[in-house]
Amino acid sequence: MSQQGKHRILMVSDFFYPNFGGVENHIYYLSQCLLKLGHKVIVMTHAYGNRSGVRYMTGGLKVYYVPWKPFLMQNTLPTFYGTLPIIRTILIRERISLVHGHQAFSTLCHEALMHARTMGYKVVFTDHSLYGFADVGSIHMNKVLQFTLADVSQAICVSHTSKENTVLRSGLPPERVFVIPNAVDTAMFKPAPERLGNHEIVIVVISRLVYRKGADLLVEVIPEVCRLHPNVRFIIGGDGPKRVRLEEMREKHSLQDRVDMLGAVPHAKVQSVLVTGHIFLNSSLTEAFCIAILEAASCGLLTVSTRVGGVPEVLPDDMIVLAEPDPNDMVMAITKAIDLLPQIDPEAMHNRMKKLYSWHDVAQRTEIVYDRALKCSNQPLIERLPRYLSCGAWAGKLFCLVMIIDFLLLRLLQLWQPDRDVEVVPDINLTSHCREEKWDSGADENYK
Amino acid sequence: MESYTHKSSSQTVHKWRKVAYGGMQPGFDDNHTDESFLEDMIMNANVVKRDLVKVILDAVSISQYLCVVALVVLVWTYTLRSMFNEQSLMLLDISLLGWGFTIVLLTAEMLSFELLLNYILKTSFFITGLYILSPIYHTLTRSISSDSIWALTSSLVVLHLFLHNYSGSTVESPGALEFSTFTSNISLNASIVASLLIASRLPSRLHVFAIVLFSLQVFLFAPFVCYCIKKYSYRLHLCFSLVLMGVTLFLVHQLHQLLFILLLSILVFVNLVCPYWLIRIQEYKFEINGPWDEAKLCFNITE
Repeated sequence: MSQQGKHRILMVSDFFYPNFGGVENHIYYLSQCLLKLGHKVIVMTHAYGNRSGVRYMTGGLKVYYVPWKPFLMQNTLPTFYGTLPIIRTILIRERISLVHGHQAFSTLCHEALMHARTMGYKVVFTDHSLYGFADVGSIHMNKVLQFTLADVSQAICVSHTSKENTVLRSGLPPERVFVIPNAVDTAMFKPAPERLGNHEIVIVVISRLVYRKGADLLVEVIPEVCRLHPNVRFIIGGDGPKRVRLEEMREKHSLQDRVDMLGAVPHAKVQSVLVTGHIFLNSSLTEAFCIAILEAASCGLLTVSTRVGGVPEVLPDDMIVLAEPDPNDMVMAITKAIDLLPQIDPEAMHNRMKKLYSWHDVAQRTEIVYDRALKCSNQPLIERLPRYLSCGAWAGKLFCLVMIIDFLLLRLLQLWQPDRDVEVVPDINLTSHCREEKWDSGADENYK
Repeated sequence: MESYTHKSSSQTVHKWRKVAYGGMQPGFDDNHTDESFLEDMIMNANVVKRDLVKVILDAVSISQYLCVVALVVLVWTYTLRSMFNEQSLMLLDISLLGWGFTIVLLTAEMLSFELLLNYILKTSFFITGLYILSPIYHTLTRSISSDSIWALTSSLVVLHLFLHNYSGSTVESPGALEFSTFTSNISLNASIVASLLIASRLPSRLHVFAIVLFSLQVFLFAPFVCYCIKKYSYRLHLCFSLVLMGVTLFLVHQLHQLLFILLLSILVFVNLVCPYWLIRIQEYKFEINGPWDEAKLCFNITE
């Protein structure tokens, strides 16, 4: 039916274009590279505004915007079984062989993985974020994650810290959790063609101005750095509830001519802002991976960052200066970075980043995980139930009940609309002009 | 896959590093896990070792307040049974007010004349307002049956006790945590509504005024006064609590045998069983910290 060794993958997440962020980027680039490797990739997300139905993106990437309205922070309302019919139809129509869910707080992803498991598909899950263990919200999220991961074939995390976190939260054996980092599109993030002068040092900050991104640290750090180094200027891109505090700080210390506040910067313009600076400052309080650092390094900026989460794993020690999330330590780190600056060659750094990170590498490594997942044995529901049961005294029984009802609903659906009545989508080869020979042989096999 | 296992045998020089850059590390799969896995995890870093005696002594504050509420309910019951008249109630109000001010005056270290004047002024405004409003309260629940009122009142009192902020006072809670103010506000409101409901069943306006004033004095200021005592001398606080418990138990015993047993068992439960229980379940405490935790800022954010 399908080409040898080629998968038909369904990516599921609540977060996708037109939304912007780390997860959205990851899904998009991973899908593009998997398409180039000859796999078929479909993305499923919820409707954004009037963007509903099927759309095509670059490279023939097909996106299903399921008409399911988000209710909170771009998440769909958790209904457990509401999405079963449409997910089943998509899985059968597109002849999917593997389902790949993204992000722990996407309800659509959790539901899709559950239904896919009930239908006997192999599933892979990627976790993009870190969670604590202390507050009520985290405890709830960790239980949900435990439920989804109880029966997932393989899981992927974006950093080693994230892997440790996920293993602790879900109780999954560490051998089944892979670490595949994000990457950066180095072709998009190029350094400025001419080197900037060294008479004035520009420090760039691009992040949402919220508590978790450490906007309060910036308020403490910026005046101190400006006092110590008269030739330093700041450019702050991004918007958020803490913007007012930063503006207040600027007024209070009369730094209007030394601190530029750009407001929200669209992703397409990030590169043009980055290349105007020498140093990139990241002040996050928690971060699983931090793509922003990669983008800055790819533009040839020296990075100063807080030592939180997976950040220390992201770059080699000579490309980043780490500091504890404490204003004094950060000021010292910035001073150290300013001293290091003459040794930094943006072009050399960019070339190094090309070797360190590429989405093709990510796609190839993900492919290995897919192969592993497909090698897992098929198990009927009755053999999978004990895994859910072991999730907890009460939660375990509840999870089992949820799975049994899902199974019964699926059977009901199959009676109402048998699998053979679902029309299969023919494969349209949109990228044939670039890989004609390769696809001809593949297409032949398809129609056998 | 096979090529990778092959490589690992030939290229043992490569040491696996815990980094995300540089692609797949030669000789190792992406799911490679070595002894450095979870090495930065810290367990039970912030767990406080608790001492049984200290927990029991701390629990005394709770039973003290329980007794205060029980006394208020006793006064309500006697008034509804017409065993207290207006005069004795007013006398009780005035003496309570006097005692309260005396205790605050004696225990407070820094009490300026202006602050005292401020307190007296506020209290007098409060009493006047209450006096003007008492005719309204008097007829508030005329169309509702007494059973419903009692049921509602008892559930409100239970709610009040559950949400009460036992750590400090409700009026000026110094050192109280930010989030606790919401629940303590709900608690205070529940107690005020409960006293208004009881007051509305009384025969005269003066009764209503006296009983509402009494309840509000206790619910609003008793925690504050108790807090002052506790801050002044812990020994005094313990003695006061014990005397209060004895008196309450005696008075409840006079009222009803079953209520006495109930109160006694609650006091034993709160003071002895719960602390022992807390110490016992301490060993199940399992707190995990690690690099994935959100960093805490080491300075205060002044909005």
